[in-house]
Amino acid sequence: MSEKEIMQSSIDAILEGNEGKALATAREAVDMGADLVAVLNDGFSEGIRQVGNLFERGEKFLPELIEAAMIMEKVSAIINEAILKDSSVGATKIGTMVIATVEGDVHDIGKGIVISLIKTQGVNVIDLGRDVGTEAIIEGALEHEAGIIGTSALLTSTLNGQKKLEEELRIRGLRNRFKTIVGGAPVTQKFADKIGADAYAEDAAEAVVRVLELLGKSN
Amino acid sequence: MGGVRTAGDLVARVMASKALRVNEAKKYVADKLGISVFDLCDSQVMREVREDLNIGHVLARPGGAIGIEAKFRIAKLLDIEINSVKRFKERSECSL
Amino acid sequence: MKKIFSRMGDGSALWLSEDELRQDLRTGTEDAADRGKIGPLSDDELERLFEICAAPQKVVSVEPGQEVVHSFDAGTLKFPLRGGVPVDRLGTVMAHERAFCSDTFEVGHSDYSFKPVKAIIAEERQSMEQIQLNATIPVYYGAMPNLGLYTKPDGPIDNWSELLPMGKVQEAREAQEEACEMAIQDIFFVAEAMHEAGSDGINFDTVGASGDADFLASLLAVEKLKKAIPEIHIEMGMAGEFVLGMHGGLKYNDTRLAGLYCHKQLELAEKAGVDIFGPVINTKSNKSVPWNIARSCTFVKACSEISKIPIHPNAGMGVGGVPVTSTAPVDAISRASVALIEIGKADGL
Repeated sequence: MSEKEIMQSSIDAILEGNEGKALATAREAVDMGADLVAVLNDGFSEGIRQVGNLFERGEKFLPELIEAAMIMEKVSAIINEAILKDSSVGATKIGTMVIATVEGDVHDIGKGIVISLIKTQGVNVIDLGRDVGTEAIIEGALEHEAGIIGTSALLTSTLNGQKKLEEELRIRGLRNRFKTIVGGAPVTQKFADKIGADAYAEDAAEAVVRVLELLGKSN
Repeated sequence: MGGVRTAGDLVARVMASKALRVNEAKKYVADKLGISVFDLCDSQVMREVREDLNIGHVLARPGGAIGIEAKFRIAKLLDIEINSVKRFKERSECSL
Repeated sequence: MKKIFSRMGDGSALWLSEDELRQDLRTGTEDAADRGKIGPLSDDELERLFEICAAPQKVVSVEPGQEVVHSFDAGTLKFPLRGGVPVDRLGTVMAHERAFCSDTFEVGHSDYSFKPVKAIIAEERQSMEQIQLNATIPVYYGAMPNLGLYTKPDGPIDNWSELLPMGKVQEAREAQEEACEMAIQDIFFVAEAMHEAGSDGINFDTVGASGDADFLASLLAVEKLKKAIPEIHIEMGMAGEFVLGMHGGLKYNDTRLAGLYCHKQLELAEKAGVDIFGPVINTKSNKSVPWNIARSCTFVKACSEISKIPIHPNAGMGVGGVPVTSTAPVDAISRASVALIEIGKADGL
């Protein structure tokens, strides 16, 4: 396969949920000395982003999304191993993120999807759970030495939890230690700007992009 | 539509019990009441209609029907079965 | 050029030029048409939507004679619980009948799910019997199928939200199928008892919130209820514009449930025996209210065109073009309501 065909095969394998094809493509990319960072970011990861978009439109379903995410983990392991062996190629961005649904809110289906997709990008994601108080979120972020704190709120009545987190981080002098990202049905870019969050994502696919940007910023 | 102030409850009952779309349900109720579809939401017209038929109205008056008494008359007037009325009759062994 | 006052889907104020407003209406209907694979609104309908959205009045309305009925969900939760008014459920029903002039009302338990009501069915029946003696308007009993309550730690079944991220897809699917069976039994038990208490109908609220198994449980419960009690009235309000595929393989009458948009949900609800169907179109908080209204009307119109039963689209906080904010502004609510009735051809809200 040419590099262009490798890219397309990477995307298709994830979209089709075809593990055999995905692993074979990854191995071929390694063997032919392709730009592995590009294969991961613009090939397989693009496939994951497209799966996320189709899920958001009701055209792919959760089991398919999970299967795609699991294939992605296996592919990432092959490619990351090859990248690390080759010192001339930089390693992919890896960081730690804690994520929680804020206090008073027990919704976590969306959060689970976000976690599955972000993990596929080589990010260490720690799920702090649902209905998590501000204090526990900050303690969790400190304990796991996270670079990013992600919070979700599905209810208009629990949006305040995201605002409270920003305030508490400032009060404790920790605001510059973490990047924050917010999401959830009632959350908007405007709200994120208002409370001072570093990023906002409308859906899981966008969350992946924003988290990678934040990791780029923090590196 | 305005509930018992107009004919909102009556149209809602017919809509559910006969699974009629709104325009059909409104026509059905208007025909039973002998008024126009337009008048169904006119609180002035409907006050008189509801008080004359004693089928419950927003204003509480001495002798004015509310609750199960009003629903007995509504079921008969609209020729529909109202579950609570049916059960009240069964439990009270009422043959009305 | 003079700007038109409007709002974003999160409720914040927004000023649009005429061109921007028209553009939002057009892209809103196109988004619905693309996702639902349905026809977009016509130029005439978009022009009427423009008039509704651009009207200078704070509150807009349908013309006299064009009014439709209102049904409720979570009725007795809103006034005494969320509003904090110290009245019981009977008082709440009477206030809605005699002061707010509601066309119908709905009584529900504060947990608002079928499963927990099973344990307190005697108290719920007594409340309904007392309410039915006093209320003139139709009073429904409502609850959510809420399949999540059947999973650990709230129920006996393994939690598919935990199984799926572990890659245990088959186990997660089997857990949902098991929960579905349990929910059908509970829904039937509660609905039958509340019907015997004199309820004017049963409202299945937020159907599909736990995904396709939630929708399947509701359809099968409706089918079972209608078979056992043909005269029972059932209203079904959905949780979202498409059925979330938590399982992905469940079918009803040979139709896969995951991914079905409103008009396809309606067809299955009709087959099951539902008497009133409530489509839900989720409001996008980062798009304008006109964009959301055009989108909602496109989906609702697709339902109305094929429906044999009344359609009551949800027009409340965060759905049907109404902003995602707990104090939804009346300018936006009234515009969404008029649009859903005039353009969506809704039979009620």
